[in-house]
Amino acid sequence: MIVLLLFLVPLIGGFLSFFIKNDKTVRTWALLTSVITLLISIAGNTFAHSPGQLHFSSSWLGSLGSSFSLQLDGLSQILCLLTAISYPLILVSTWRSSYKTANNFFALMLLTQAGLMGVFLATDALLFYFFWELALVPMYFLCSGWGGERRIPVTFKFFIYTFTASVLMLIGLLYLYFQTPDRSFSLQSFYALKLSNDTQSWVFWLLFLAFAVKMPVFPFHTWQPDTYEQSPTAATMVLSAIMVKMGVYGVIRWVLPVVPIAAYSWGDVVMSLSVIGIIYASIIAIQQDDFKRLIAYSSIAHIGLMSATLFAETKIGYQGVMVQMFNHGINILGLWIIVELIERQFGTRKLSQLGGVAQKAPALAILFVILAFANISLPLTNAFIGEFLMFSGIWSSTVTHYNILFTVLAILSIILAAVYTLTAVQKVLYGPESSITEGTKDIHGNEKMVLWVIVIMVVVFGVYPQPLLRITDGFVDLLLNKINVAHLFVK
Amino acid sequence: MNALIFSAVSGVIMMFSSFLLNNKNSVRVLAHVLLLATIIANIFELRGISFFHIDTRGMLEFDRFALLFTLVANVCTFAFFLLSSRDLEKIGNHYSDYFSLLFFILAGIVVSSSFKSLLMLFLGIEILSIPLYILTGSDKRNLKSNEASLKYFLMGSFSTGLMLMGIALIYGATGTFQTGITVAEKVPVLLITGMMLLLFSMSFKVSAAPFHFWTPDVYDGAPTVVTSFMATVVKAAGFIAFMRLFAEEFGSIRPEWKLLVGIVAAVTLFIGNITAVFQQSVKRMLAYSSISQAGFMMLAIYSLSNDAKEGLILYAAAYSLATIGIFAVLVRMKDYTFEGFNGFAKQQPFLAGILVVFLLSLAGIPLTAGFLSKFYMLKATIDGGSLALAIFAVLMAAVSVYYYFRLIQSMYFKTGNATISGTTTGFKYTLAALAGITILLGIFPNLLTNWLYF
Amino acid sequence: METVPLTHILFVSTALFCIGMYGLFTRRNLITMLMAIELILNSVNINFVAFNKYLYPYKLDGIFFVIFIITIAAAEAAVAIAIIINQYRTHQSIDVEDATELKF
Repeated sequence: MIVLLLFLVPLIGGFLSFFIKNDKTVRTWALLTSVITLLISIAGNTFAHSPGQLHFSSSWLGSLGSSFSLQLDGLSQILCLLTAISYPLILVSTWRSSYKTANNFFALMLLTQAGLMGVFLATDALLFYFFWELALVPMYFLCSGWGGERRIPVTFKFFIYTFTASVLMLIGLLYLYFQTPDRSFSLQSFYALKLSNDTQSWVFWLLFLAFAVKMPVFPFHTWQPDTYEQSPTAATMVLSAIMVKMGVYGVIRWVLPVVPIAAYSWGDVVMSLSVIGIIYASIIAIQQDDFKRLIAYSSIAHIGLMSATLFAETKIGYQGVMVQMFNHGINILGLWIIVELIERQFGTRKLSQLGGVAQKAPALAILFVILAFANISLPLTNAFIGEFLMFSGIWSSTVTHYNILFTVLAILSIILAAVYTLTAVQKVLYGPESSITEGTKDIHGNEKMVLWVIVIMVVVFGVYPQPLLRITDGFVDLLLNKINVAHLFVK
Repeated sequence: MNALIFSAVSGVIMMFSSFLLNNKNSVRVLAHVLLLATIIANIFELRGISFFHIDTRGMLEFDRFALLFTLVANVCTFAFFLLSSRDLEKIGNHYSDYFSLLFFILAGIVVSSSFKSLLMLFLGIEILSIPLYILTGSDKRNLKSNEASLKYFLMGSFSTGLMLMGIALIYGATGTFQTGITVAEKVPVLLITGMMLLLFSMSFKVSAAPFHFWTPDVYDGAPTVVTSFMATVVKAAGFIAFMRLFAEEFGSIRPEWKLLVGIVAAVTLFIGNITAVFQQSVKRMLAYSSISQAGFMMLAIYSLSNDAKEGLILYAAAYSLATIGIFAVLVRMKDYTFEGFNGFAKQQPFLAGILVVFLLSLAGIPLTAGFLSKFYMLKATIDGGSLALAIFAVLMAAVSVYYYFRLIQSMYFKTGNATISGTTTGFKYTLAALAGITILLGIFPNLLTNWLYF
Repeated sequence: METVPLTHILFVSTALFCIGMYGLFTRRNLITMLMAIELILNSVNINFVAFNKYLYPYKLDGIFFVIFIITIAAAEAAVAIAIIINQYRTHQSIDVEDATELKF
């Protein structure tokens, strides 16, 4: 029942929002809905040990071999928690942004959340595809409707990219469906498949492409910086904090255990692409003058590390990915809030035009610096835990011969991250005041509160990551089991 | 049988109604009532109650597939009546005749979707085509309409010639017009030639590439209301006849034509989608979109499974409802180009929202009937053994997103003053009901497909 | 008396069919095009009658089909003439080249 509510509450809340014409009411309504979702999600994590409540199944499209089945396991828990936590933070921090036709904006935001929840919960391939698109379509309208000047072509590119990749995924899922003995779309049937190596390769690329575009992995990333730049901040937050995790999630749930042999044999290729992406994105980030684009590229680098670790197939690495998915979402949320604050106050995101903010806005400076540290994954921040686990995961990987090379190159990303993040910090906070930043005011109210919440989470999970690790521990073991059994089967 | 007799008689009644009724409104109401009666009669027959027991000597067979499609076609026509009958009257002075021609077309649809004999196929297709030639040219003072009907007539009768030649050759090879031939080890050349000629002529009728070239011009030239009917119900009926012909008559020589049909499907998808991208007029875009959707429907003929049958019915319903809805709005627009829709959402948020549902359905986005119908087609195609064709089809579906979403962009994200006239409350609610059905079928397709079995 | 073999008749009908096709594609006068279409239909008629007579002489299927074709052809011709007359009224010509409102 809980899992159904996780999906239904934002869905119904979203639909109702369309009909609330009053600006203030609709904001409150959206916030209320997201808080309720958060409470349900927390409840879900508390009841994690009674499986009956965390599973929902109902007949739907039986003739097509599909059913409406949702399930909350370790992986879903952490991502649903991330989604549920992010939404109130996003809504509160953008409380003061004004939107034309606010009811549509918030309705689409909540519908996206419903789609995201569905993606993370679905254990039926067709249902998964439904939710995948349900998350994408409202997002398209959000970005196109309320974004920056070039929003129409940019978001259209984003949509076409993702849609094309996702229809290929549909073909992959359909193909798997025909391989199952009982003609069913359920996850269990997919996991029970024993496919030949060639078939696995085919299916692997059909499925992986959709997730690679979403993450995005190196050659498929071109939609991302533009879209982040042009979208309204709230939508960018959803995109970067949660939506990119859909890709990572998809690989963990639908690729690795379903086509393990192909994942093993193409692992080197994907890892190389990811590592190239890390370095490439970091170098571009160094040259960026636009703060939003800088963070966009930094996000590509962080996600690249995750996708590389996914194919290293080690327990410690998977633990790292799980933790980092959550942490990256929280951290980037904080960074976007900082960007939004700066842009709203000074009317520009150009780093070269800013400077000397720290003197007049000490609170902003402190929070920004802590978040910057988290972005570089310094010890005592949450990102450190995740990234450290991932590095050791890649290092100790037995499925690739180039594990040391990959690790060294990936660790370079930390150094590069330090370069671009600290440059940004320096350019914004220190140095001489420019004409724009003369009348700087410190932050207050909603944003300050949200940033503090985020910073507290950064520090708490940096020092004490056990709660997150515990949620996913059982799931990681199961996952590795499935992959390793498949490997044995090959030998 | 019920629907056939009801619609034929309704056609005759409508013909004489202009003498008896002087009032446009009463003629329109009469048409609605007659069509509703036809629908109800058809539902009775689906439930096993037939009002007429006429021995057709096995030339017609009203099986569930035919009856269900007849139902879909009639319901779509009813939606078309509700939305566009007022616009139909604006074409010219002979308003009651237009209705009567539409009823005759419906009779043709029944015949061509339930034939068991090639004679009936020929008659059905002709009964369906000849009124359409007239309707296409019904806007007598409009040069475009004249030319469209001329062109349609020339192409139509040419393809009829091909079809007849094909039937003659098949008759020569088998000695019978009944479908369901059995062939020996070696397939006679006459049969193959006849089959090819029938394939070409049916491709003409459903505007599959490379025989599609008449479509954009005719659809563009015909009065928009008529185009809306032609591009949806009639085209779907063509596909049902196509499917029946190839499943029953040529099912036994499937290896001979499977590849060819696959190629026709792929070429149709390619040409339809790529050309649609470059259109500036929404009406022409919809004409090309109808070609690209035809490519998807060809996949059903390629695979010929139960899935394909269910899918084709669903496709016919999804595609017809969405296209009729869009056309109904288009007729009322002042400017038919994409720019003409700029800023539409500001002025008509309700209508714009409904149009979005239709466009998403045509583009094949989940939660709409359009997605599931495409899904059925893909499923059948992969089951039929062609993964590559399925991949090609979805890539083309991704292209189609481009031109459908261009309309959405115009409506929502661009500023301008789109002008629309004559939107009554009833019109809006009818459209909303169509959108509701589109979404409902997108979640529970069984509501429709179960009729095939129970 | 020696009968004419089937192939001869088929040859005639095929020739008529091809002449009709040729006429339809090359002639620009609408009436001539209509005649070309009638030629195609008539070649099919010959085919039906010949097949019936030579191959399946105990049934009359083919001959009945011919009657249907003749009927439908008459209906088609009626519609065609109407369209052509309408064309003549607007363009003062029945040359298909003059119909240039819609381009391929």
